[in-house]
Amino acid sequence: MLIGIDVGGTTTDAVLIDEGKVIKTSKVPTDHDHLLECLMAALDEIVLGIPPEKIERVVLSTTLITNLIAEGKTDPVALIIEPGPGMNPDGYSLGGEVQIVRGAIDYRGREIEALDEDQVEKAAAKIAERGYRKVAVASKFGQRNHAHEERMRETVMRTIPGVHVEMGHQASGRLNFPRRAATTVLKAAAMDEYRKFAGEVTKAVAGRRIQAPVYILKADGGTLPLATSIEHPVETIFSGPAASTMGVLALTPAGQTSVVVDIGGTTTDIALILDGSPLISSEGARVNSYLTHIRAFAVKSVALGGDSRVRAVGGRVAVGPERAGPAFCLGGPEPTPTDAMRILNLISIGERNLAEEAMANLGKKLGCSAGEAAQTVVDAAVEILIREIDEMFLAWEEEPAYRVWEILQKEKIRPQNVVGVGGGSLGLVPLVAERLGARGIIPDNATVANAIGAAVARPTLTLTFRADTERGFYTVAEDGTTGEIRDRRFGQKEAEEMAKRLIIERAADMGIGEYAAEAVLTASEVFNMVRGWSTSGRILDVSMQIPAGLIPEWTGGGRG
Amino acid sequence: MTSPREVKGEARKMGLIFFPAFDWAITPTHPEREERLLYTRDQIFEEGLMDLPEVEEYKPRLAEHKDIARVHFCIPSVEALVTEAHLIAAGSTLVLADAYMKGEINNAFALVRPPGHHSMRVAHGNRGFCNVNNEAIMVEYIRRKYGIRRVAIIDTDVHHGDGTQEIFYHDPDVLFISFHQDGRTLYPGSGFVDEQGGPKAMGRTINIPLPPETPDEGIHYVLKELVLPILEEFRPQLVVNSAGQDNHYTDPLANMRFSAQGYAKLNEMLAPDIAVLEGGYAIESALPYVNCGIILAMAGLDYSNVREPDYHPGRFSMSRTMEANITGTVEYLQGVWDARDELTAKAVERAGPFFRRHKNIFYDTDGIRERQTESVKMCPDKSCPGYMTIDTDAVRGYGQSESGFGTFVPLFACKSCREEAREEYEAHKTDSRYNYIFFQDKNRDEYRLYSTRMHNERVY
Repeated sequence: MLIGIDVGGTTTDAVLIDEGKVIKTSKVPTDHDHLLECLMAALDEIVLGIPPEKIERVVLSTTLITNLIAEGKTDPVALIIEPGPGMNPDGYSLGGEVQIVRGAIDYRGREIEALDEDQVEKAAAKIAERGYRKVAVASKFGQRNHAHEERMRETVMRTIPGVHVEMGHQASGRLNFPRRAATTVLKAAAMDEYRKFAGEVTKAVAGRRIQAPVYILKADGGTLPLATSIEHPVETIFSGPAASTMGVLALTPAGQTSVVVDIGGTTTDIALILDGSPLISSEGARVNSYLTHIRAFAVKSVALGGDSRVRAVGGRVAVGPERAGPAFCLGGPEPTPTDAMRILNLISIGERNLAEEAMANLGKKLGCSAGEAAQTVVDAAVEILIREIDEMFLAWEEEPAYRVWEILQKEKIRPQNVVGVGGGSLGLVPLVAERLGARGIIPDNATVANAIGAAVARPTLTLTFRADTERGFYTVAEDGTTGEIRDRRFGQKEAEEMAKRLIIERAADMGIGEYAAEAVLTASEVFNMVRGWSTSGRILDVSMQIPAGLIPEWTGGGRG
Repeated sequence: MTSPREVKGEARKMGLIFFPAFDWAITPTHPEREERLLYTRDQIFEEGLMDLPEVEEYKPRLAEHKDIARVHFCIPSVEALVTEAHLIAAGSTLVLADAYMKGEINNAFALVRPPGHHSMRVAHGNRGFCNVNNEAIMVEYIRRKYGIRRVAIIDTDVHHGDGTQEIFYHDPDVLFISFHQDGRTLYPGSGFVDEQGGPKAMGRTINIPLPPETPDEGIHYVLKELVLPILEEFRPQLVVNSAGQDNHYTDPLANMRFSAQGYAKLNEMLAPDIAVLEGGYAIESALPYVNCGIILAMAGLDYSNVREPDYHPGRFSMSRTMEANITGTVEYLQGVWDARDELTAKAVERAGPFFRRHKNIFYDTDGIRERQTESVKMCPDKSCPGYMTIDTDAVRGYGQSESGFGTFVPLFACKSCREEAREEYEAHKTDSRYNYIFFQDKNRDEYRLYSTRMHNERVY
């Protein structure tokens, strides 16, 4: 049996799945100050009467880190950067305590200016004086050569007893230094709180005599064993939308193109599944004001929900962006899209006469009947969603491309399905689908699609390999692994084989070795290096990944 | 229509297209190969420049064949001469041109390859690494679509922008200024002070040959004393920087002493509306830093921290002789510019009813030798630039020969020139001395190619 639990903003949802079928669901209100208790309450409800040894897998998706960061409750972190030549480092918006030191590494990992160790020492002393216990260190191009980051770390550890230091190249190896520095800071900031939470979860689960492995869902729709995840605390951010999208992937026909519309009370999250693959944002996620390297699904949040306040402004209807309370028909203060859908018989929740009253009031201001007002509100909401969905496809089409083939192959595509999950979807999704010429789907168990998504998501993993045969070394961007390449004839075939071997090793290290066979090659490029008039070496870039997907135990019960 | 340059208002973003064509090369070991912008990619992505609120990244598109035919007589055809990479490089400039003309952005940089400024109106193949002229394609697209007239193209590549010069040589509304390493010491061996434009456009072509080893100081002097004052008077509706990066002190194919700081400052001083990458082959020691500097300067950001690892201010200085050489050239060209109207009147008078010149053109990359005779009608209507014909004959390596006859009607040609030109085209369709007959009517935006062997006509 599989268990999925999603701690959302309003409710905590849990499902129990047996032989590919959802056999039990539960929902408890989320209490942000007691997340662990919510989680356990939802878990206890669905495992009631189930022998613990029958449970094979537990997956959690939690807003813990998202909330901590949003509320500024993570640990304060000081940052030491080695920016080298380029932008004026004062232009980076990294916030907080930032110390700048001299020294530089270039794009091929060569030291072009020695690290100024005295400066690092002074910076560390200043940081110690201000009482920081967490420090992040990051060099521009530190992912290509992390010697300077290592030395900065040593100096800081020597100067500040008991300090915890995170290095940039271990937070992310992707190009983009300001994002890497920000990601490193967040990682250091969230580490302790997350470790505490993971420990408590482990204890609580063990206390219920559940022996099954526990996983956590990441923002890219993949799962990670709880024990490994403590090294990657920020990757669990934004797992809510990822859970819903994975749920839709599980509940709709394989290989199709769908828009996932999760309409809640205040906001609607829109995600895309293209030919069966959830769309990953080409850039990392934005966390508060920080741009990061955190891999996440491309999710668009729109300020429109079932409880959005509806007003008449200059003879026209304005929907949202704020929420004044629940819908009028559920005892709220102002008319909402829910009231409009209620009197048009699109949904059946709430008091019909209250909904009538809300729409009649609105109609008075618009100079029309309650029914007409309701239709106007629904049309306006649908219009907003259509526009946002179109913009999302357009943004995907307009993503920059750097290769001829990428420009030639990108076609205009439009969705086959519009899939609604979340409370407000029932009324609006069929209308949106009709306008887009797509099939509207509200899956069974749509209201717990997020928990289903968590339960059946498989691990994800990426590996970005670069070899520089002229300099005779390779790097793995994700964790800063480096090694020598002695063979001057090392070519594309060798690079791909090596990347494959490395991703298998990395999967084993992460505790997800059994999924290594799912790894696929996503890019492989060779750049001949010509110096003078002869080839002096090659740069080989190979990317592999285990993409977001479903575990084989999910046999697709309830697939539309 | 007025251009955004004339109504500069609120500060908007700079537009950027980065198209390194990581899957395209002339040959695997050619300077124009996949690797050229690899380290530039690393540097500008690592800097996070695409995340800056001052920078908007756009996606390239393919230019249409008609956009190419608006500028070039391609032999044997547009389709045969360009690869998809060429269409994307040219198309990138068009995306930015649209964004700029619509006021979405303040200025733009097409950081794209393959380059184009050595491509002339007639294109038989690849010359100086170029097949089609990206800047010319963009300028003619903008003039056609948005109706602006006066354009200035400043060629800052170390090589003379001979292709761009040739395309606009007779156009009094396009000011072409090129500074470059003296043609006696570098490819393509042209760009001397006496190349000043066709009879009706004298002084609208300004060539500034500079001595080898000219540093930042020399180029900034030329900009301040000559280029900027001329621009001030010419009042262009669009300023284009044909932005080569091979004046750099480490460039393997040239001998100048320009730095990344120098390039950034150049773009700050010139303030081009659209810059388009041309050459630059110091792919590790120059391009990552130069491009970073140009992007920051165009985005209005501080570029003072951009420097090559081995650079320090004051590393290069000018000798007295070099200084005298440059000030002399500048003074002479100021005179040419000031006298442009008299020079035009004299040249028209001297030319008679038709201006004719013969040219020998060598395509270094493809090994083609071309002979041309260019003939321009000296239309009595002063505001009409006159129609032009070109007779071309090109021999490839082992003697395979292609010949063509093209007739060209400029955008602002008078009615009688348009009619005469059309008659020339029709008359030559039966002229079996030529394989291809071309007709470019910019006024009607109509471009024709007739094959005398196949007896068929293509219309773009």
